[in-house]
Amino acid sequence: MTMSRFTVPALIVVAVVLPLATGNTYLHHLLVLWMLFSLLALSLNIIIGYIGELSFGHAAFFGIGAYTTAILGMHFGLPGIFGLFVAAAMAGLFGLVIGYASLRIEGPQFAILTLGFGSIIYTTTNYWVDVTRGPMGISNIAPLGVGGFFEFTTAIEYYYLALFLVAGFGYCCHALMQSRTGRSFIAVRENASLAASLGINVFRTKLLAFVVATAVAGVAGAIFAPYLTVVTPEVMSLHYMVAIIIMVIVGGRGTIAGPILGALIYVGILELLRATGPLRMVIFAGLMTLSVIYLPGGLISILKRKIHIGGGVTDQPPKPEAKQ
Amino acid sequence: MDIETILLIQQIMNGLVNGMTYVLIATGLTLVFGVLHIINFAHGEFYMLGAFFTFFASKLLGLDYVTAGILATVAVASLGIVANRFFFWPLRREHEFTLLLSSLGLALLLTNGGELIFGADPKYISSPFADGIVAMGPMILTQQRILIFGVGALMLLLLYFFIQKTTMGKMMRATAQDAEGAALTGVDIRRVYTVTFVLACGLAALAGALVGPTAMIYPTVGSWAVLKGFIVVVLGGLGSIVGALIGGLTLGVVEALVGGYISLGFAQAVGFAIIIVVLLWRPNGLFGVARRAG
Repeated sequence: MTMSRFTVPALIVVAVVLPLATGNTYLHHLLVLWMLFSLLALSLNIIIGYIGELSFGHAAFFGIGAYTTAILGMHFGLPGIFGLFVAAAMAGLFGLVIGYASLRIEGPQFAILTLGFGSIIYTTTNYWVDVTRGPMGISNIAPLGVGGFFEFTTAIEYYYLALFLVAGFGYCCHALMQSRTGRSFIAVRENASLAASLGINVFRTKLLAFVVATAVAGVAGAIFAPYLTVVTPEVMSLHYMVAIIIMVIVGGRGTIAGPILGALIYVGILELLRATGPLRMVIFAGLMTLSVIYLPGGLISILKRKIHIGGGVTDQPPKPEAKQ
Repeated sequence: MDIETILLIQQIMNGLVNGMTYVLIATGLTLVFGVLHIINFAHGEFYMLGAFFTFFASKLLGLDYVTAGILATVAVASLGIVANRFFFWPLRREHEFTLLLSSLGLALLLTNGGELIFGADPKYISSPFADGIVAMGPMILTQQRILIFGVGALMLLLLYFFIQKTTMGKMMRATAQDAEGAALTGVDIRRVYTVTFVLACGLAALAGALVGPTAMIYPTVGSWAVLKGFIVVVLGGLGSIVGALIGGLTLGVVEALVGGYISLGFAQAVGFAIIIVVLLWRPNGLFGVARRAG
């Protein structure tokens, strides 16, 4: 993935300079969406890429995070940045309960069970009007603030906040994969019974991954809501559930650059296709299907191949292969 | 009988008819999973196509409802061959996520393509049976709903004999047990794939043609159909046709009772609540067999 040890710092510098290159606020908006979806896709990648289970419920945790900040702000006027932690805790708590119930099951049944939990949370949000204001959603959400000193208002500020979190979380994922815990994730993915025979508690390992992933998804939601200043139950709909999975798998599951690239492709392609009008989603679906059929390892696998030809052996330890 | 009992029996009867729709949708889904180990997210779209093809066959070609329905079923079953050829067969050696995403891509293509070609506005399929009423004592069902139940039951019976008695059925069962082993003994896996998809897509289309006249049809109805199908299939056990039958009828009746006595909104989520409880108690569903090792 990385050609040399300068690649990642160089990419971060590019990401930092990127919004300054244009004054177009709409482009800034797309950059914020890209970074927030990157954070979300990176968190789902822990489940899909590292422990090898497919979760359809991930959008629900994004939604829980978004609603947590919105409701906290509405009833208690809680300063936003503090809300990020509450949102992470809330989403993680839901993740703990749902993961505890559903991680005993694996494969297709797990995927459909998470779809079930996600749909129940979506339906509840839609009908529990007293707390969530139902399908109308919550509007006029206060911007994120740091205890009265600073308020995140412009798109650029939200972009840097999200970029900081993506870089931080990306580094954590990288460090995780070097650690014993990370290797036990991979062991569980590759062969659960063998992992168990080596003394890895498969259930607890999966649960740990699930809780971390859902808590981070909650943080992404907790930034998304104040950024847009409005949140509706639609953030938990099937549309978003599927969108995050597309980002992770089209980008390249089990890698760090893959989900970030996937989020860029998702936001970018849909935007570029806007000109095609009603054909937009048809072309998008076609492109997505072609990329899955011809690049099962995700788009990142093209880069990997190129780098292996050009640069020979990398200084990276072996990354989990996207394709088993 | 007092009015409460009549109401209860009427709700259960309505639930059984809705349940038979779910059974028809879920049978194709469970067949594709049981034989080929593919979770087909696009399955609901074939239900949608079945309904729209019936609509256009009667509207544009001037066919009567029954002929239009049969034509639509055959046409969509043939589309199953194309779908398999391009979206499933080439990926048979890939990871299950790849196949699942390919089917998701197909689902998006069909939904959005459908919206483009058919228009997003809801449509009605007219059927001569839609207004005819059959009274059974104090209980009432329309002829269309009796048709749904009757044709559904007949199809399941035919499918059962096809799988149990014919050579092709035996080849499908052999593939379900062990695709590689089946191939070694001379089973043409490629034909098994084709036949399985033809059956699954045909059943889904038939469900669409049958249910179309009882509700409005619109291009996004496929995601509703596939979600119901998933609930039924997981409830009954992935790959089990008996499970799809029991699971589908159960879901139909429970939804009707919850919708009638508690709230219509909650009826949408009750299916998921049931599978959560069932899966925690029996991880492989009511009639499922243990997941293959590895």
